[in-house]
Amino acid sequence: MKFLSIAIKDLRTEFRTKGTINFLFLFAFLSIMLFSATVSNPEPALLWVVFIFAGMLGYSRAFLREVETGTLDALKISPVSPSSILFGKIIYNAAIMLLLEVFVIPIFMAVFELYPENLILAVLILTAGNLAFVVVSSSLSVLVIKSRARELLLPILLFPVVFPVIISTVQAFSMAVSGNLEGIQAPISVILGFSTATLAVGYLTIDYALIE
Amino acid sequence: MIVRLENVGKSFGRFKALKDITFSLKKNERLALLGPNGSGKTTTVKVISGQIRPTKGYLEIFGRKKVDESARRKMGVVSHNTFLYEDLTAFENLKFFASLYDVDDERIKEFFHEFGLWKRRHDLVRNYSRGMKQRLSIARALLNDPELLILDEPTTGLDVESKNRLFELLSNFNSAIIFTTHNLQEAEIICERTVLIKEGRVIYDGRSENLEEIYRGIVE
Repeated sequence: MKFLSIAIKDLRTEFRTKGTINFLFLFAFLSIMLFSATVSNPEPALLWVVFIFAGMLGYSRAFLREVETGTLDALKISPVSPSSILFGKIIYNAAIMLLLEVFVIPIFMAVFELYPENLILAVLILTAGNLAFVVVSSSLSVLVIKSRARELLLPILLFPVVFPVIISTVQAFSMAVSGNLEGIQAPISVILGFSTATLAVGYLTIDYALIE
Repeated sequence: MIVRLENVGKSFGRFKALKDITFSLKKNERLALLGPNGSGKTTTVKVISGQIRPTKGYLEIFGRKKVDESARRKMGVVSHNTFLYEDLTAFENLKFFASLYDVDDERIKEFFHEFGLWKRRHDLVRNYSRGMKQRLSIARALLNDPELLILDEPTTGLDVESKNRLFELLSNFNSAIIFTTHNLQEAEIICERTVLIKEGRVIYDGRSENLEEIYRGIVE
């Protein structure tokens, strides 16, 4: 249950400082407004673009903040396994992501007058895609924490790795929006398979990634 | 022996921070790691506490060949970095670390009384003075009643009163201590044994007596 302690501590810190939340929400809101003004017939993919930018800038903060404040060392010297640290960060990022979805999806639907044929499935697909994004970005941010250029390095590493998840989520989301669900299993399998594989890689490498 | 290092080395790229560190520590022994800035004291304690891995040599902690969760459970670390979350209150900080060590809330309350921070327990750590942060940091390190307390230059930035408080507290602490410092007097006050490190090598291992003479003879 130590991973829950880490996640709860992170949430408490975040709600006090609101450094990440404010940035994510502002960025997400501005992106929606920007797209609504410039695109006359927005596709469902635009919604995912909001999550990409918000996620790329926000999800890595959980680890980077611990590095900047020196508290990652406090976790390293505590009787907590590196994998618990990783899972704690993933749960924290997932909680932030769900909040972002609750904020973004209704606004996006209202602004773009987007009414999916299968609303529940569309939201579930977005959530699954976002969860995969959280897993990938959390696992990769561990790998760059020792680098001085970590803030720059992460998006460069992240984008090609997360690309199959983005494409698959957009495909599945488009199907849920149109109501044509034929062949939806393929992109969903990619989302689930990719997040499972990345989680396994993160789990296997975090011990070596954390300790110099 | 609770700590044993034999010919331990640590390199960061081409830079050899530790070249040949050999010493051991018995149960309840107090050992000062003394040396000038950049000699390898902090790297040595980081190896012992499991924050970094040695590049070469043999390391044994509580009879284990690696610093695993079970070894870390028996250790407490105080550093010039407080290891505290500035945006959490003092109580939330201790509660979080207590959860990692499976320590109950009653123990946390005892610590707040013992360290004179009870009235300020719900203050954010960022609003604490340096001395208060260090006291809280020591409370955090002692939460699990460690068998080995590692203090890495804990007096950095502390005023005289806070230093005296720390020394008083350490004089009542009965478990083993590794205390890194570049201050000869601090080493003599707190520890019965001193290991002197220079350029990543142990150059003296003996009693904490006449350190000024020994230090001058070897280091200068």
